[in-house]
Amino acid sequence: MMLTFLLLPAIIMFIVSFFKNRKAKFLLPVSSFAILLPIIKLFILPKPYAILGSYLVADKLDTYILLVSSIVGIGVTLALLTLDRHVKVSAHAYSRFYRFFAIFWIGLIFSILANHMGIYWIGLELATLSTVYMIKTNHTPAAHKEAWNYMIVGAIAISLVLFGIILMYASAKPILGEDAMQFDLLLQHAKEIPSPFLFEMGFAIATVGMFVKMGFFPMNLWLANIERASFYPVAALFSGILESAVIVGFFRFSEVAAEVNYSHLFMFVFVYTLLTIFIVSFLIFRAKDFMRLFSLSGIEHMALIALFWVSGGTFAALLHFGAHAFLKPALFLSTGVLESNGKYRIAGALRGYSGKKGTLFWFLVSLFLLAIISLPPSPMFFSELYGFGAMIENAKESDHMLVMITAVLLLLILLSVIFYRFVAIYQSMKYEGETHTKKVYASELFALVLFALSLLALLLPDSMAYLRSIV
Amino acid sequence: MVDFLIGLFLASLITALFTTRLYRLLLWYSMNSLMLGLLALFIGRELNDTSMLITGIATILIKAVGIPYFFKRMSQKFHFVRQIIPEIKVQYAIMLIPAILVFTFYLADPITHMMHGNANYVAISISSLFLSLLLMMEHRNVAPKIIGFLSMENALFLLGITATDGMPMLVELGIFFDLLMAIVVINLLFHKEEANL
Repeated sequence: MMLTFLLLPAIIMFIVSFFKNRKAKFLLPVSSFAILLPIIKLFILPKPYAILGSYLVADKLDTYILLVSSIVGIGVTLALLTLDRHVKVSAHAYSRFYRFFAIFWIGLIFSILANHMGIYWIGLELATLSTVYMIKTNHTPAAHKEAWNYMIVGAIAISLVLFGIILMYASAKPILGEDAMQFDLLLQHAKEIPSPFLFEMGFAIATVGMFVKMGFFPMNLWLANIERASFYPVAALFSGILESAVIVGFFRFSEVAAEVNYSHLFMFVFVYTLLTIFIVSFLIFRAKDFMRLFSLSGIEHMALIALFWVSGGTFAALLHFGAHAFLKPALFLSTGVLESNGKYRIAGALRGYSGKKGTLFWFLVSLFLLAIISLPPSPMFFSELYGFGAMIENAKESDHMLVMITAVLLLLILLSVIFYRFVAIYQSMKYEGETHTKKVYASELFALVLFALSLLALLLPDSMAYLRSIV
Repeated sequence: MVDFLIGLFLASLITALFTTRLYRLLLWYSMNSLMLGLLALFIGRELNDTSMLITGIATILIKAVGIPYFFKRMSQKFHFVRQIIPEIKVQYAIMLIPAILVFTFYLADPITHMMHGNANYVAISISSLFLSLLLMMEHRNVAPKIIGFLSMENALFLLGITATDGMPMLVELGIFFDLLMAIVVINLLFHKEEANL
């Protein structure tokens, strides 16, 4: 029954998207809002809650990720209401966007709630394929090229994930039979897996697939190019929701991998994320437009989340995840207003807003820009403190304290490069360039206020306690 | 018989890499899928696994017959370029393909020691995956890239059949569903291309 309620809004959205009647189109945003209701209900229910036998099980981790994603979905829907005022988009393309958004949601629900590697993969593939068309909503040759690029690179990444899943399944099948696909059973019997090397190979291949999907080393630029070419709500969906579905898989797989061989897992993820952040920091330093800047910053934050998670800082990783999921879509949606009429000039981008709406807009965008580089009291500031703390704690238990301190110092230098660049950009946006009159619409402001409130909610003691209780 | 089929599976993929005509490429993809379907039927019969038999029949119907037929119709509808010249010269490809095969056998060596039964097939699945990637990379046209993507799915399916003695039925059906969804998206991408002209 719960599954029906979870899928119903997306199914309604899918069906309504075929209607030609103009009034029926109002149902599309309403159905997007309705997604939140069953998720809140699920959030309140005692955990773990079996939704579909042992295949779909809601625990604290996945309901948190689902709740965050549904709030992001509502924010994106609000911005979509006035998308046609900023860019050229036909009514047909708009309903098609919702049609694929509905499929995207169905895929996400399955992959986030999956307790089964196969279902996780099927959901992720469904979400990946539906985003291809969302990129194409923008009628430009660049968007067309990038849609094909996404189709191909996304397919390679998702195939690597399946390849890894098959190897992991093969490694655990002798002891668990067909149940070797279930995350909870794998976790319980991780130490008994007869061929740990096979499992680790599978984990490494699946992780590379997931990391490629999130734009990690060596694919740092492909996601940025795609987000540049598509409309800004698509980029918001990518960073706020799709990456959540990918990272939840990484969380689940790494929990099992940690039981199999923790030091191998840590070294693999540590080196990979450090390389990613090293390259991304210099790419951010050279970024010349908002979309690319925010895309690259998204890759940096996802790398930090993965690093904190494997370092044992699960609370830090989840706090960072929540903050990133709200901040990045907020910035991507602001890009739509900042780059009005396709002119993406950084200098003076925060000037030219008048009235209460305009003032609130530039104030919120300023806050988001400074919060994304972890300036206190951003939740990212606390998550990074806890995350680095967890890394040092982790090193205390090994003989590599000096290496860890060096790595943390290197990370801090790289993060300060990013910090410096963002502050310079912010100052250029506010104090340089010419002033052009720009307009901001109420729906966009509502979206930004929603994200700002959600960020504040993350800092509440109850939220923090909930996040601490997840793992 | 299984060895023979798996050999034909690999051979059809290698031949596809040298093909310069689209319809011929579709034929080789169809052959590749047919071998995969027959493999599933043979291994399924050996293991007495009903779900693998269903998968084998579905593979033959969907991948060996349905997708090539649909793709051929699509290519006629959207006037695809029929001549598909690989970017990599034949003399280099002749050296590259055996190198990939040797490399993947070397790469899969530690895995094959851990597996019982069809251990070498894992290496063939990995090499098929790399060869499918090569098929995607060596062409500029979109059509062979799509065939490369579909061949990659075949390589994964082969791994699923041989390395694990069959994946759960639910997963296999899910993969088929996603494959159909991929075809719908590809069709839509071409539709939009036509609308832009």
